[in-house]
Amino acid sequence: MLRRFLPLLISASCLAAETPIPPDHAAQMAKGVELFNSDVGKLLADHCVKCHGGEKGVKGELDITTREALMKGGESGDAVVPGKSGESLLVKSIRHEDKDLKMPKKADKLADAAITKIAEWIDLGAPYGKPLVDGKGRDRSKVTDEDRKWWSFQPLSGAKPPEIRNPKSEIRNPIDAFIVAKLEEKGLAPNPAAEKRTLIRRAYFDLIGLPPTPEQTDRFLADAAPNAYEKVIDDLLASPHYGERWGRHWLDLARYAESHGYEQDYDRPNAWHYRDYVIRALNADQPFDEFVRWQIAGDELAPDNVEAWKATGFLAAGTHATQITANQAEKERYDELDDMAATIGTSMLGLTVGCARCHDHKYDPIPTRDYYRLISTFTKTVRSDYDVIVNAAQHRAEKEHWSETHAGPELQPEKVTALICSEGVPAVRNHTQGPDFYEQTFFLSRGDLNKKEGEAPPGFLQVLASAPEERWNVPPPAGARTPWRRASLAKWLTDKDAGAGHLLARVIVNRLWQHHFGRGLVATPSDFGAQGDRPTHPELLDWLAGELIRGGWKLKPLHKLMMTGAAYMQSAQSDSARRAADPANTLVWRHPRQRIEGEVIRDSILAVTGALDPKMFGPGTLDAAMKRRSIYFQIKRSQLPPMMITFDAPDTLGSMGLRSSTTVAPQALLLMNNAQVRTSVRAWAKTLASQPATDAVKRAYLTALGRPPSDDETATAAEFLRTQTESYKTAGKADAPELALTDFCQSLVSLNEFVYVE
Amino acid sequence: MNLFMSNNHPHHFANPHPHFLSRRDFLQRTGSGFGMLALTSLLAESGLLGSSAQAAAQAEAVNPLAPKPPHFPVKAKSVIWLFMNGGQSQVDTWDYKPALEKYDGKDLPGFDKNTGFFTEEVGALMKSPFAFKQHGKSGTWASELFPRTVGHVDDMAFIHSCFTATNNHSPALFQINTGMSRMGFPCLGAWVTYGLGTVNQNLPGFVAMYDTLGRGLPKGHASNWGAGFLPGVYQGTALNAQGAPINNLERPAEMNDAQQRAQLDLIAKLNKRQPGADDPELAARIESFELAYRMQMAAPEALDVAGEPEHIRKLYGTEDKQCAHFAKQCLMARKLVERGVRFVQIYSGGMENERSWDGHKDIEGNHRQFAGETDQPIAALLTDLKQRGLLDSTLVICCGEFGRLPLAQKGAKPGRDHNPHAFTTWLAGGGVKGGVHYGETDEVGHKAAVNKVSVNDLHATILALLGLDHEKLTYRFNGRNFRLTDVAGNAVREVMA
Repeated sequence: MLRRFLPLLISASCLAAETPIPPDHAAQMAKGVELFNSDVGKLLADHCVKCHGGEKGVKGELDITTREALMKGGESGDAVVPGKSGESLLVKSIRHEDKDLKMPKKADKLADAAITKIAEWIDLGAPYGKPLVDGKGRDRSKVTDEDRKWWSFQPLSGAKPPEIRNPKSEIRNPIDAFIVAKLEEKGLAPNPAAEKRTLIRRAYFDLIGLPPTPEQTDRFLADAAPNAYEKVIDDLLASPHYGERWGRHWLDLARYAESHGYEQDYDRPNAWHYRDYVIRALNADQPFDEFVRWQIAGDELAPDNVEAWKATGFLAAGTHATQITANQAEKERYDELDDMAATIGTSMLGLTVGCARCHDHKYDPIPTRDYYRLISTFTKTVRSDYDVIVNAAQHRAEKEHWSETHAGPELQPEKVTALICSEGVPAVRNHTQGPDFYEQTFFLSRGDLNKKEGEAPPGFLQVLASAPEERWNVPPPAGARTPWRRASLAKWLTDKDAGAGHLLARVIVNRLWQHHFGRGLVATPSDFGAQGDRPTHPELLDWLAGELIRGGWKLKPLHKLMMTGAAYMQSAQSDSARRAADPANTLVWRHPRQRIEGEVIRDSILAVTGALDPKMFGPGTLDAAMKRRSIYFQIKRSQLPPMMITFDAPDTLGSMGLRSSTTVAPQALLLMNNAQVRTSVRAWAKTLASQPATDAVKRAYLTALGRPPSDDETATAAEFLRTQTESYKTAGKADAPELALTDFCQSLVSLNEFVYVE
Repeated sequence: MNLFMSNNHPHHFANPHPHFLSRRDFLQRTGSGFGMLALTSLLAESGLLGSSAQAAAQAEAVNPLAPKPPHFPVKAKSVIWLFMNGGQSQVDTWDYKPALEKYDGKDLPGFDKNTGFFTEEVGALMKSPFAFKQHGKSGTWASELFPRTVGHVDDMAFIHSCFTATNNHSPALFQINTGMSRMGFPCLGAWVTYGLGTVNQNLPGFVAMYDTLGRGLPKGHASNWGAGFLPGVYQGTALNAQGAPINNLERPAEMNDAQQRAQLDLIAKLNKRQPGADDPELAARIESFELAYRMQMAAPEALDVAGEPEHIRKLYGTEDKQCAHFAKQCLMARKLVERGVRFVQIYSGGMENERSWDGHKDIEGNHRQFAGETDQPIAALLTDLKQRGLLDSTLVICCGEFGRLPLAQKGAKPGRDHNPHAFTTWLAGGGVKGGVHYGETDEVGHKAAVNKVSVNDLHATILALLGLDHEKLTYRFNGRNFRLTDVAGNAVREVMA
């Protein structure tokens, strides 16, 4: 509304600039600063700054936290004309001269004396003694050397394991040296090693998400070789179940689902190829840097490899509005770009990039310009159900040969339809009145589409770029199908020397640590910025990240390294003295007791009851009665698997790095009454029923809990089976003993011991 | 620092039972003092507790659903949100626009044809097909659609100047439920349950009910009552439209109560013998089976409509063919808030078009139908709450995701298209000033014009009525403190008593 006055005001201030500086300028300013410090600063802070640059944002686009900001004015034009309080909108508004602009809004008018002071201050040139909000007053749109000093942006420290003299504790590998050094500083001792039974159970749940069978446990107990435990770890890392277990962790981060969400939540029938890619890649121990590159630009970097195409399903996994009206289309498109950039930020870099959409990041050195340059990478990237050639190189060779020996139609390659993300491919299109993408991505002021400020060229986060951008800008090869913007981003992301690679390595080793030790060395696994937690063991974190890189970015050796240290192998026992010294166990003086996830609970029930179908890969299902591992449930956003949701599975709408772990009644109801649970334990009881009750109880304990029952437990079980059988008989049930055994079996999988791993 | 509630760390749930009259009672019910007592001593031992106030705070932290005090004292304790899914037309219900009669059939100058959904079916201004009259001491103008609800206008506060940001169902549904038009944020009910906990631990704290006539779920489905990044315990429990209303609530068919009780006793016995059973998390889990057992009985009782006295069933219309489905839901809502449930949301209508208030075709027929489905139950709910003394402590909210255009949508029978620029919300009960009209739309009811109220403002108002400061109700996720109202919102004090 007042915008039309803007040119006039600008010319007025230009004139002012040409006016010679008055001789008493310095004295005037000094007086002004004095007035600011004595009265005006406090008045502005108390009555104005909250809505104008403070906690309530920047209302009317007027930011008064600093003089520079104040001089920029707001949406109503210039707020202050220095030296001329009568012409200053700020003064007019606090005097209530304009009926549409009375300040402070929704509060009493300032006292006359206060207004006079502010006016006088403006007449003196409106100088500031200091910014009105701490930390303001510097331009967050630029990244400084100071910003780069933040621990997670620094290169890896190259720390070496500390030397432990006279170790009182067991040091099995370098990790222990780091851990013990810190514990000793606090005068704390770690626990001794856990029992073998505990250890094998812990290793099985951690690596494959299933309990060991009684036979697997027995074999380990009987193996007296010094490397018996290492052999177990090696076997588990080689198990195809490893990818199913750790793939699920990655799918949480990738906000993976198989439907669009929004209006109709249409299915994505070809999305599961991405899930299978993740499982296969982890099982094959694909180097993590390549794993990342493929998910961003697999189709560009390895076009002959069908798996590389499937990997781009990472970009496609976010929600997608399926009914878009004309005037919403561009906003929806920016939302999609935001989803891709924000997910890369949190899952791969541990940075909340998405915060920079509307303003320069408040805490981390991520200017809005970096944000828009980052999302610009994906300007023309769309989801596509695309027919990918399964073995392109072989096909080319065969085709050549074919035409030499065959007349008639060309050899057709084998293709698979997968949901991918790329450019120049037919976009998945539902009910939209707009285009699938726009030709350009713009810098937006405050995220507002009506405030485009020039085209944003693709780029990287400055704070993680210590070389000129050319280093990563990959020119598209001749005849390239796509602009190779994503390939450039992937190169920067994984560049350990001058790009983001060192942070990428820190973030992933911390995630491994988190799942093995219950808590990351950085407790906020998806936020390594200023608002996240600092690492408890920064040297260890850097050393592990270095190990990952030195080992060719392979994750399996890192698992083994972590799991074969004394720190991991220690028992879960706890005592009040050490709890008092370190309640959250940040120093790792014990192994934590962890609740297994919903998937693992369900899979384990299926496993111990003998019902688990080990078939891997392929389309999922919504059928709650299916018997495959839970990772093969179809993840439809509007019908998430009820059991998983009850046990805190993520809602798939954003990247999730740390699930909640709640204990609520519906979980107990599920174990008590759920039809699938009951069917499974009933079938199990049937198989156990043929033997004498004592044997059945023992076998059930060994299978479910990995240990035989104590005498006391055997007696309790026998008594329960006797009275429960009587009760069923009295109720006229023909299969009373089997029902009683069913109830007992169900009790075992409901125990704390079943769902908590030590 | 609160070790349990900070920054997306795991949340655990011990279960202080609200019906325990004394500490001794509590101990008797929980055996040898597992549960809260063990927890408290454990926390004291680990130096986490300094005072009894802190003990209460910690207990609350361990049970994320434990009742929590509001930021400031207020009357409202519970919420019933009647959601007119699809978008109720303001100019045909509560926002009387006599000028529409004058301009009937004329074009609206400067109208942006992309405002609604069907951009090629934009018609002229169209007067309401319904007759308007004044009601109550407040002289509230209302259309003939709600012959019973109008009896309560002096208890209702109307905000006529609500507006939203998008013109399409699911983003608008997300916006009014979560404050954001994108998917993935916690809804109002989840925020309220997070902020205040819930009084009755034997029932879900937040219950959502959708259409039971097979007309679908609101667009965006369960995300409308989802917890987003808040812990899952705060999401709405949607009652199943068919079969058992809550999953896993019925014990296996072959079992009787005594047999299940014996099984639970076995579980408790075996659990308590394990080392570490005094760990607060494990103690909480032991208690959760007892709570589940109680919930199994409490929930069916709370949701049982048939057992209500005949005059109550008649009042709501639970046997009336047209409104029985919504009547039952309103009656259940009353029973739930009476039992301490914090937040209930009921959707009138299923998905879109003729299945909900989405009157693109034949606005008259559509709105007569859906008003017929809801008028008697809503009026009964207000009457019933009042006669039980519950209206003071129950905030009733009624709105849709947006309004409708004052123009006709062309067709065999004229309809009205989506209108994000104006809709009316009415509030009643819990701390609401009755008979008030706040804000105005323009002459024809197209856009909010005076004292405009954004969705953020509306949310801030609802939270304020519940004693919550919308700027202080925050949750930290992925490095940021999130609020229901994002970075905006002003509570409308004028509708508060």
